[in-house]
Amino acid sequence: MKSNIRNFSIIAHIDHGKSTLADRFLELTNAYSNRNNETQILDNMELEKERGITIKLNAVSLNYNYQGNDYILNLIDTPGHVDFSYEVSRSLASCEGAILVVDASQGIEAQTLANLYLALENDLTIIPVINKIDLPNANVEKVKSELINSLGFKENEILLCSAKTGLGVKEILETVIEKVPAPVINEDKPLRALIFDSHYDPYKGVVLLVKVVDGKIKVKDKIKMMATSSVFEVTELGINRLTNISQTELSSGMVGYVCAAIKDITKVAVGDTITLENNEALEPLKGYKKMKPMVFSGIFPTETNKYDELKEALEKLKLNDAALTFSPETSIALGFGFRVGFLGLLHMDIILTRLEREFNLETIATSPSVVYKVMLTSGEEIEISSPNEMPEKVKISYIKEPYIYTNIIAPTEFIGPIMTLCQNKRGIYDTTEYIDETRVNIHYYIPLGEIIYDFYDKLKSSTKGYASFDYEISDYRVSKLVKMDILLNGQIVDALSVIVHEDFAYQKGKDIVNKLRKTIPRQMFEVPIQASIGSKIIARENVSAMKKNVLAKCYGGDVSRKRKLLEKQKEGKKRMKMIGSVEVPKEAFLSILSDEE
Amino acid sequence: MNDVSIYIHIPFCKSICSYCDFCKLLYNEKWVDLYLDSLEKEIKSYNISSKVKTLYIGGGTPSSLSEKCLEKLFTIINKFNFIKNYEFTFECNINDINSNLLNILKKGKVNRLSIGIESFNKDNLILLNRTCDYEDVKNKINLCKKFGFNNINVDLIYAVPNENEKILLNDLNLLTSLDITHISTYSLMIEENTVLYINNIKPIKEKLDYKMYKIICKFLKEKGFNHYEISNFAKKGYESEHNLVYWNNEYYYGFGLGASGYISNIRYNNTRNLNDYLKGIYLLNKEIITNEDNFKYGLILGLRKINGINVNNFNEKYHTNILENEKVKKLIKLNELIYENDFIFINEKYIYVQNEILIKLI
Repeated sequence: MKSNIRNFSIIAHIDHGKSTLADRFLELTNAYSNRNNETQILDNMELEKERGITIKLNAVSLNYNYQGNDYILNLIDTPGHVDFSYEVSRSLASCEGAILVVDASQGIEAQTLANLYLALENDLTIIPVINKIDLPNANVEKVKSELINSLGFKENEILLCSAKTGLGVKEILETVIEKVPAPVINEDKPLRALIFDSHYDPYKGVVLLVKVVDGKIKVKDKIKMMATSSVFEVTELGINRLTNISQTELSSGMVGYVCAAIKDITKVAVGDTITLENNEALEPLKGYKKMKPMVFSGIFPTETNKYDELKEALEKLKLNDAALTFSPETSIALGFGFRVGFLGLLHMDIILTRLEREFNLETIATSPSVVYKVMLTSGEEIEISSPNEMPEKVKISYIKEPYIYTNIIAPTEFIGPIMTLCQNKRGIYDTTEYIDETRVNIHYYIPLGEIIYDFYDKLKSSTKGYASFDYEISDYRVSKLVKMDILLNGQIVDALSVIVHEDFAYQKGKDIVNKLRKTIPRQMFEVPIQASIGSKIIARENVSAMKKNVLAKCYGGDVSRKRKLLEKQKEGKKRMKMIGSVEVPKEAFLSILSDEE
Repeated sequence: MNDVSIYIHIPFCKSICSYCDFCKLLYNEKWVDLYLDSLEKEIKSYNISSKVKTLYIGGGTPSSLSEKCLEKLFTIINKFNFIKNYEFTFECNINDINSNLLNILKKGKVNRLSIGIESFNKDNLILLNRTCDYEDVKNKINLCKKFGFNNINVDLIYAVPNENEKILLNDLNLLTSLDITHISTYSLMIEENTVLYINNIKPIKEKLDYKMYKIICKFLKEKGFNHYEISNFAKKGYESEHNLVYWNNEYYYGFGLGASGYISNIRYNNTRNLNDYLKGIYLLNKEIITNEDNFKYGLILGLRKINGINVNNFNEKYHTNILENEKVKKLIKLNELIYENDFIFINEKYIYVQNEILIKLI
């Protein structure tokens, strides 16, 4: 019976049709009918539907009868964006196979490669699929040759489909059954179950998504988290259909959920192994490569009394977002908040939006920073993730910053603009690979700090949207970096400090004060905005004083009209934060480093 | 019974100024006659038996009415009983002033004149679509004084496009040489539905506007005027009693087209449609003022006065302790509001941007 289980995921570049294919699988296995014409069933987070992207992995069990045998297919949907590759690696760790989806009109893209390499690292069986073959601009032959020449697949293993029309979908599912190996079953060994995801349910406590590798787990079992040694009693377990279906046990090879009235969310960690208290496994399973956050930003509640709420919200988000890290931070300007680590800017954007929507918290985010390694003259090396942790200049021997190694896949005609862009971002050229005669994969080393803002947008606009981009962290390199402070009304605003390259400091300083002048509204008095390095002012602009808004004639009747006017003006002030006596719009903190107007 | 204040609006003008967005119509004798009939009915409907402490006839241009119509207007008004120290202001266009008019006003118990002069500068006047000549003004003001009108306000408009500091100073010099007791100043606002707006005239630079405001405050102070409200200046004892009724958030009746009033917890606005008004459909809307609203209005209006709000009177009137109000406390701490000798007022530095302070209070 156990040999009838298949655990697999779908991997693809963003927009290549992953979630639509998953929808078809659900239909085909009668997990749901498409009566309501609802699409992208597995993207159940409101944000996912809205942006048309998958952020979180999602697991679902499907029943399928093939050649007279019943199979249980555990499908794990994965995100496509570069920021969320850790979600991919987690889902892949609980699979034995993966469907690699490539768009018939787009061909191989940067994320296709990245996900494929992840799958290969996990020893998965790969089923290559060309999707969207019904599109008028589909070029199946070209994409086939890309898969064969660049990725080494054989022509006869490539499947064709249109997830939209359903063409070829059945064949894919059946190929999964034929080619993907059944999980190795070890029911007699002590329990080892890998937690690959978790979320918080107000009634059930923490809900764990697990893959049982060895042994079995039953309701009322006393389970132990191997990393934290905390013990809980299982209250409910089961498998995921579109809703949870409770079972009496989960055994080796199965994927499902486990609840154990876990209220303290710090006691569980994704990647940890569950075992039984009275029959402990000796070794935990190999967890995940820990994803290190690359981008840090200070997050502060707009209302200073919401600090505790923010803390609780971040803890809950971290529960199913292992890459999220945070530690308390105090800013003179913004009060008490957290220095939060993210995998990238999209990840950060998602978290900020979720804080606002799911937790009703208004926050101010400071300009993101990467992690720098600072070698002190004392010989000690420290890591800093905030400009305000930068030691005094005299104590610094040198500073290193993280570089990334790029995969930029684009048509050959855009090589020029791409190279110009990379050069402007302090990139160091490595090589260009030809995927075929019309498309290339360009490799650069670029400081991470240069790409976290607008690199992707710039890349898209300079290649008419044709380029796709992916990167991996390569190494740390010595750079001439300095901390630049921003002064409002003569006072340094710590939340606005940034780390910049010395050679670009003057230009950056000018850009930042100019940008702030445009963002900060007129104040009750003239406010100078200055950029300084050390004690040296390198740029200055003034926000001029407020315009007249009171001297209008006021005869008796004006007062109700005036009050309405005042109330309207007051409404507009809500997005402002008082820094000393200067009103600064919330967005100003986050956006000062972006180049666009 | 409490003494009352009354505003009466006369919406007719002989010519329309390019900046005016008040309720006004071009003069038409037949309409004026009908208007006064309807006005009389409106006033009668309120059945006012209390004594009148302040009365203000504004416009439009009340002085544009013919003698016959003026007689009719005063017949209506003279049914009111005034208290001993009443104030009765009548708005005049400088060009309308002559012995006949002043005679009628005197007989009608007017004891304060408000005269729109606005500017003496030729370019300013062209843009504002007004006329005025200094010698003529001087003679007419003297004539007013001869008739015993010693309480005279004149209006000044500044920040007119293309105006500079020199023009403003010249206007101020000429105005104060008239030896009048009250000056109301207006920074020109280009409002929608005015000729200026339609002609796409742009306001002067804000920096200059602010500079001009400071020039005015300084100049008039030196000439012995008391800056007692954001844009009003008076010789000692000549502050406008009627306007203080507004700024103290006290009740007043408003009669006439587009007028507004505040009586017994209701703020109301009259229709701005002449046809409706003539048909006896006076009211446009009513707002019931809650205690909270009233508190806000008390702040919005009271802080227009340079001396600000008398804490004891305010607390008694609104059954509150304003010094315990968190927002007020915070602004006092920030030195944006000042609390001194039982008064709370806006720091002189921020008078010009009063709205910014008010926003933080409401």
